[in-house]
Amino acid sequence: MCHYKIIDQLLQILGLSFHPKRPWVLASLHNGVIQLWDYRMCTLIDKFDEHDGPVRGIDFHKQQPLFVSGGDDYKIKVWNYKLRRCLFTLLGHLDYIRTTFFHHEYPWILSASDDQTIRIWNWQSRTCVCVLTGHNHYVMCAQFHPSEDLVVSASLDQTVRVWDISGLRKKNLSPGAVETEVRGISGVDLFGASDAVVKHVLEGHDRGVNWAAFHPSMPLIVSGADDRQVKIWRMNESKAWELDTCRGHYNNVSCAVFHPRQELILSNSEDKSIRVWDMSKRTGVQTFRRDHDRFWVLGAHPNLNLFAAGHDSGMIVFKLERERPAYAVHGNMLYYVKDRFLRQLDFNSSKDTAVMQLRSGSKFPVFSMSYNPAENAVLLCTRATNLENSTYDLYSIPKESDSQNPDAPEGKRSSGLTAVWVARNRFAVLDRMHSLLIKNLKNEIVKKVQVPSCEEIFYAGTGSLLLRDADGVTLFDVQQKRSLATVKIAKVKYVVWSADTSHVALLAKHAIMICNRKLESLCNIHENIRVKSGAWDESGVFIYTTSNHIKYALTSGDHGIIRTLDLPIYVTRVRGNSVYCLDRECRPRVLTIDPTEYRFKLALVNRKYDEVLHMVRNAKLVGQSIIAYLQKKGYPEVALHFVKDEKTRFSLALECGNIEVALEAAKALDERSCWERLGEAALLQGHHQVVEMCYQRTKNFDKLTFLYLITGNLAKLRKMMKIAEIRKDMSGHYQAALYLGDVSERVRILKNCGQKSLAYLTAATHGLDEEAEALKETFDPEKETVPEVDPNAQLLQPPPPINPLDTNWPLLTVSKGFFEGAIAAKGESSALTHNRYGFMDAQEALGDDGIGKEEGGGWEVEEDLDLPPELDMPAGAGGGAEDGFFVPPTKGMSPSQMWCNNSQLPVDHILAGSFETAMRLLHDQVGVVNFGPYKTLFMQTLSRGRTCYLGLPSLPCLRSHPQRNWKDCGAKQGLPAVGLRLSDLISRLQQCYQLTTAGRFEEAVERFRVILLSVPLLVVDNKQEIAEAQQLITICREYIVGLTMETERKKLPKDTLEQQKRLCEMAAYFTHCNLQPVHMVLVLRTALNLFFKLRNFKTAAGFARRLLELGPKPDVAQQTRKILAACEKTLTDAHQLNYDPHNPFDLCAASFVPLYRGRPVEKCPLSGACYCPTYKGQICRVTQVTEIGKDVIGLRVSPLQFR
Amino acid sequence: MAAQQGDVDELFDVKNAYYIGSYQQCINEAQKQPRLFVFSFKPSSPEKETERDMFLYRAYIAQRKYAVVLDDIKANSPPELQAVKMFAEYLSSESKRDAIVADLDKKMAKSVDLNTDAALRTLHQGESLECMAMTIQVLLSLDRVDLARKELKKMQEQDEDATLTQLATAWVNIAVGGEKLQDAYYIFQEMSDKYSSTLLLLNGQAACYMAQNKWEEAEGVLQEALDKDSSHPETLINLIVLTQHLGKAPEVTNRYLSQLKDAHRAHPFLKDYLAKENEFDRLVLQYAPTATA
Repeated sequence: MCHYKIIDQLLQILGLSFHPKRPWVLASLHNGVIQLWDYRMCTLIDKFDEHDGPVRGIDFHKQQPLFVSGGDDYKIKVWNYKLRRCLFTLLGHLDYIRTTFFHHEYPWILSASDDQTIRIWNWQSRTCVCVLTGHNHYVMCAQFHPSEDLVVSASLDQTVRVWDISGLRKKNLSPGAVETEVRGISGVDLFGASDAVVKHVLEGHDRGVNWAAFHPSMPLIVSGADDRQVKIWRMNESKAWELDTCRGHYNNVSCAVFHPRQELILSNSEDKSIRVWDMSKRTGVQTFRRDHDRFWVLGAHPNLNLFAAGHDSGMIVFKLERERPAYAVHGNMLYYVKDRFLRQLDFNSSKDTAVMQLRSGSKFPVFSMSYNPAENAVLLCTRATNLENSTYDLYSIPKESDSQNPDAPEGKRSSGLTAVWVARNRFAVLDRMHSLLIKNLKNEIVKKVQVPSCEEIFYAGTGSLLLRDADGVTLFDVQQKRSLATVKIAKVKYVVWSADTSHVALLAKHAIMICNRKLESLCNIHENIRVKSGAWDESGVFIYTTSNHIKYALTSGDHGIIRTLDLPIYVTRVRGNSVYCLDRECRPRVLTIDPTEYRFKLALVNRKYDEVLHMVRNAKLVGQSIIAYLQKKGYPEVALHFVKDEKTRFSLALECGNIEVALEAAKALDERSCWERLGEAALLQGHHQVVEMCYQRTKNFDKLTFLYLITGNLAKLRKMMKIAEIRKDMSGHYQAALYLGDVSERVRILKNCGQKSLAYLTAATHGLDEEAEALKETFDPEKETVPEVDPNAQLLQPPPPINPLDTNWPLLTVSKGFFEGAIAAKGESSALTHNRYGFMDAQEALGDDGIGKEEGGGWEVEEDLDLPPELDMPAGAGGGAEDGFFVPPTKGMSPSQMWCNNSQLPVDHILAGSFETAMRLLHDQVGVVNFGPYKTLFMQTLSRGRTCYLGLPSLPCLRSHPQRNWKDCGAKQGLPAVGLRLSDLISRLQQCYQLTTAGRFEEAVERFRVILLSVPLLVVDNKQEIAEAQQLITICREYIVGLTMETERKKLPKDTLEQQKRLCEMAAYFTHCNLQPVHMVLVLRTALNLFFKLRNFKTAAGFARRLLELGPKPDVAQQTRKILAACEKTLTDAHQLNYDPHNPFDLCAASFVPLYRGRPVEKCPLSGACYCPTYKGQICRVTQVTEIGKDVIGLRVSPLQFR
Repeated sequence: MAAQQGDVDELFDVKNAYYIGSYQQCINEAQKQPRLFVFSFKPSSPEKETERDMFLYRAYIAQRKYAVVLDDIKANSPPELQAVKMFAEYLSSESKRDAIVADLDKKMAKSVDLNTDAALRTLHQGESLECMAMTIQVLLSLDRVDLARKELKKMQEQDEDATLTQLATAWVNIAVGGEKLQDAYYIFQEMSDKYSSTLLLLNGQAACYMAQNKWEEAEGVLQEALDKDSSHPETLINLIVLTQHLGKAPEVTNRYLSQLKDAHRAHPFLKDYLAKENEFDRLVLQYAPTATA
C-alpha cells in the first residue's frame, strides 16, 4: 500500500464518500459535522453542520452537485455543496441511520437503519417510495447494485440479504406509469411486497454483519462481520452461496469492499488494521496497521485507484499500488511498460509500438526501467511489498517485432532492489543486502563494490552512480570505486539528468534540488504538493510536475507555475512548448505549455538581452509581477523598458543611474521631491547641468549659488547675487559677493544693513580709501568709535576660475549594455568593480601557480613503483626474465595483403599498397605500359586505403582498413572500401563539358583523361554499371580525340590552299566525333563556315542540315538557313578533300586521317581509339598510358567479370 | 602500477586523462594533486609522486613540449624520470636517435622505430595493464589480431573496466572489424561522454565510422577533431581518407595532404607515402611501349 495521505482532525470518522471527478472526499463525523476535504492538498474545503449527533451515512451524487447524509438523529438530509446548504430533510426512520446511498441512475436514495428497515426514497418528490422489511435486527448497511435492480443489505441479525427491486422500478419508472405516492408505512404494507422482495438470504456469519457490497461486474458479494471474518458470496438467478472466507482480522470487521478493477478485496476492522486480500487465493496480501485507531469505514473512488478509510481520529486516503509508469527516454524514443508489454514511442512520428512482451509471473507492476541504447537492452525492476523479494529482469529487445503480437524474449531474472546501466556492457545492481554488484550482459557478477551505506541507486552517466542514503546523495565512480561528491537532500525519489548530463535534478517528495555534474547544489526548491516527475527542455530549463501543476525551474533557482493539471502526469520529454508525458493509464499524451515566462527569465539570467527585448516587444508579459521580479533580481534597466508609469520609471531610472530617463520622468512629474532626488543623483555623477536645473526647479538658491561657485560660472554667480538682492536675502547676497570677491558690493551690503563699522573695515582693509573716508565721516565720533584697521590684514579674494566648467564631468566610458543601448542612455561605471575583481582573480591564480611550483622539486625516490613498461626492463633478449625464453611473434597477415589475395581488380591492389601487382594487372587488363600519368591516381588511392587511430600516447598510430564488405567478410574475405564511385566520375564529366563549352580545350582534355584513367580503378556491382563504365570511356575518348585534333588544327598554318584544305578536313572529321549536341552545334558551325569559305557548298550544305537537325538557338538557326540557301544555289564542291561524309570511317587519333571501313586498324586496348597500323606498339595518344594494339584481357571493374 | 582491485588509485585522474589523450587535463590534474591531498589523503608517498611526475612529463612529451621535460628533469632526478627524459630526447631530435638507442645498449626497445621484436620482448616481462596495452598495440601493428585478443583477455581478467582495458578492447575490435566495430565505437563514445572528447577518442570514433563505411557520420566527428586542433596529423590523415570517400574534389584532399606535409614531415604516414612514391617511380621503369613515336 503506498501513497497515503493522513488527514487527522482528531475526530472519529464514520462515513466517507469520494467525489467522482474532483479531488474531494466527504467525511461524516461523530460530532455531527460533515467535512469536505481536498485530499490532494490536504485542505478542508467546507463544513456542513446540521445533524444532531453522529453522522454515519454519506454519499456524493454522481452527476448533480448533491450529497446525502443520514445520522443518529433519524434524519436523512440532502445537500447541495455548491449552494453550501441542506436542501431538504427526509423523515421516516425511527432509529439511527447507518448508511445512505444514491442510486446511480434513478432519483433514489437507499437508507439502512437501526429500526430494522431499509427505505428507498425519491429525492425529486422527496418521499419514501419503498420500505424493505425483513431483517430482525439493526440494518448496518444497504447498497444498490451498480447495474441491476438489486439491493444488498447487512444486518446484526447475522444475515446478508439480497433484494429484488425490479417491481419498484417498473412501477415508478416505466413509461406512462403514474408515480404512486406511497405515504407512510401503511402504504408500504399494501404495495411493498410486490415492489421489493427478498431474493436471497445469505447465512454464514455467526455474528452481526456490518457491511455488504456487490462486486462491480461479477455476481459476487463481500461481507464483513463481527465474527472477524470477511466472506465472499456468489449468486445466480435462483440461489446464492458462500464462496470463501478470509480470516485474519482479530476484531470486528467494520467494512469490506471489492477493488474496482483488480482481483482484490479490502477490509478494515476494529483491530486497527486495513487488510488487502487476494480474491482468487483468499490470502492476505498486505496489511496496514494504525497504533491506536479502530477503523470504521472504507470508501473506494469510483474511477481512480484510490481508497479512503475512516478511523477513530481521522482518515487516510491511499492507493494500493504505484501508478507511476516505468519509462525511459533515449533520444527521440520513449520506452514504457504498459500492461505486460514494453512499448516504444517515437516522439517525432508519434508512432507507438509494442516491442516485446514481458515475462509474466510477478504480481507487482514494474517499478523502474533502465534502457541501454548500445545493446538495445532494458532492465526492469520490480519492487515487492517485502523489499527483499524485489527482482529485476534483463531483456534484450528483439530487433524486429510485430507490434500486434510482439515476441516474448526470455529475460534474465535475479533478485535485487534496483538495477541500472553503468556502461554499454555493465549494469549495477543494488542487492537486498544493500551492496553493489556490477554485472555483465550475461547477468554474471563481474565485481562487487564496497559502497557507503546506500538505500537506492540511480543512473549518473557512464561509469557513475548516484547512491542515496538516509540524508543525502553521493556521486560514486564505479570504476575507481570512490565517492566523488555528496550533497545533502533527504529521500530523493527520482533523478533526472539533462540531455548533456551537465545538470541533474534530484526529486524528493516535497523538494527539488538542481545540481551540476559535480553534484554541487545550484538551487533548492520546496514544494507543498508532491513532486511527481520532470524533464529538461533543450534550453536547460527543468520542467517538472507536481500532483496538480506543471512548473519550471531555472538552475538559478527561479521557479514558477506554468499550468495546472487535473490529474497527475509523468513528464517524459519537453520540446519547445510541448510537454510529452504519460498519464496514470500509461497513455502517452502531449500537453501544450506557454514557455514565455521561463524563457524570459532564462534569457535574463543568461544576459541575452536581445531575446529579452524581443520578448518584451512581442509577448504579452508586462505586469507588476514581472517588474517587481526584475527589480528584485537586479535588472532595473530591463524593468525600465517595461514601465510606462512615470513615477516607477523615475525611481527605476535612478536605481540604474540613468539620468536622462530620470530627467524625462522628472519633467513629466514635476514634483519637488523628484527634483531633489534627481539633483542628488546627478550631483554624484557630476552631471551638473541637470543639477543646475534641479536646483532651479526647486528654487534652492543657496545650493545653486554654491554650484555656480564650484563650477566657476561667475556670470551666473553674479546673477544669483542680483536675485538675492531682489529677494532681499541679505546673507545670500553677501555670500555671493564674497564668492565673487566683489568688495565694493560687500561694503554696500554692509552699509545698507547698518553694519557701518564692518563696512568701514572692509573698505579700509581692501584699500577702498574713498569709500572708507566717506564711511568714516558718517561715524558719530561721540557715540561710535572708528574701528582699528588691522595693519596685517591681507587681501581676501577668491581665486579666479582657471577654466569655467560648463560641461559635465567626464564619465568612464562603459560599453553600453543592450538595454542601455536600446533605451539610449548612459550606464553607470560598474565596469570599474569588475575590473578589480578580474585583477584579484589573476593574483590568486598567480599565487596558486607559485604553490604548484614549490611542490615540484627536491624529492628523492629510491624505489620504482610505476616505471613505464618500455623502460622498465633489465636486458635485451629474454635476459633475466623468469618465465623462460620469449619468442617474438612473426608478422601476421594484414588486411591489405588479404585484399590482394581476394581480388583481381587493380584498385584493390593499389589500396593495399601493392603497386607492383596493381601495375601488372593494369598492364595485362588494359595494356598500360607508361605509368607516369597514373602516379597521382595511385598515390591518392593509396592514401584513402587506411585510416588511423591513436593507441597509447606518443606511440605511432594504429591503422585501420575500411572494407567495403565489412559486414560479412569475416577475417579473411575482406575487400577494401574503394572510395571512387562511377557516379562521381559521371558527375565530373559535367565539369569537362563546361570547360569544352568555354573553349578551354587543353584543360578539358586533361580532365577527360583523368576520368578515363580512373575508370579502370572503379569497382562496380552489376552489368549495367559495367556497361556504363565502358560508355564513360567512349565518351572521354571521343572528346579527347576531337579536342586534341581541334587544338592541333588551330596551330596549323593556313596560308596555302593545301593547308586550308587540311584545316577543313580536320574540321570535318571533328563533326564525326560523338559529342553532346551543344558541342556538336559549335563544331558543325565551325566546319560549315570553313567549308563555305572554301566554296565547298555541297559538303557545307550537309553540315548545315545536320546543324539544323540539332535544333540550335533561333538566331543560329536563322543564319544557318541563310547559308544553306546560299549553298543550295550552287550545290557543288570547289575542291576535292579527303572527306566522304557518306562513307563510314574511324579517325586515326595520331595522324587525324580517316580510316575507312575495311582498312586495317589498330586500337588502344583501354580507350578503343583507332590508329593506322603504323602506330602499333606506340603509346596511345588518347590515354597516354596504353600501348596501341596490345593484346590484353580487357577492362575489369567488377568481380562479376571473373566468373 | 596496475590498478589493484579494491584500491582507490589516487592518480586515477592523472592517468586516465593521459590515456584518453587529454594531455592538458593530465598536466592540470598532476599539478593540482598535492593540494588535493591536503584534505583528502595523507600526502602521497614519494613513489606516487614520482609516478605522478612521470605522467606529467609524458603528457608534455605527448604535446611535443620536449623542452619542458628536458629542462625540468635534472641529473639528480630519480631514474624513472631519467628514462622519460631519454625518451623526450629521443623524440625531440631525429639525428640523435641512433645514438640514444645505442646509448641504451640496445636494451630499451622503444617501439617507435618498428623495432617490434625487441619491444615485444621487453614488454613481455611487464605485467601491468600498460605493458599489456602496449603489447596489444605492437601486436596489432604486426597484424597479429589473434595474439592481441589473447593479450586482451589477460587484461580483461586483471581489470576489465580499467580505461586502458577498454581502450585496448576498442583497438582490437577495430582490427577484428565486422560487428565489433560498433562496440569499439561505443567505447570511444562512452569515454568522451564520461570524461571529455579528445582527439584520440574522436579519431577512434572516426576510424570506427569509416570502417563501417559511415562516411557522413565520420565527417561530423572529424570536423569536431579539426576544430580542436587544425593540424593534428592523425585527424588530417583521416580527412585525406574521408574526403576521397565522400567524393570531394581532389583539391580538398590535396589541401589536407599539404597541411600534413607542412607540419609533420616526419610522420610515419608521410614516410610511407614518400617510400611508396619512390617505389612507384622505380616500378614505372619496368614498363615501356614496344615502339616509340
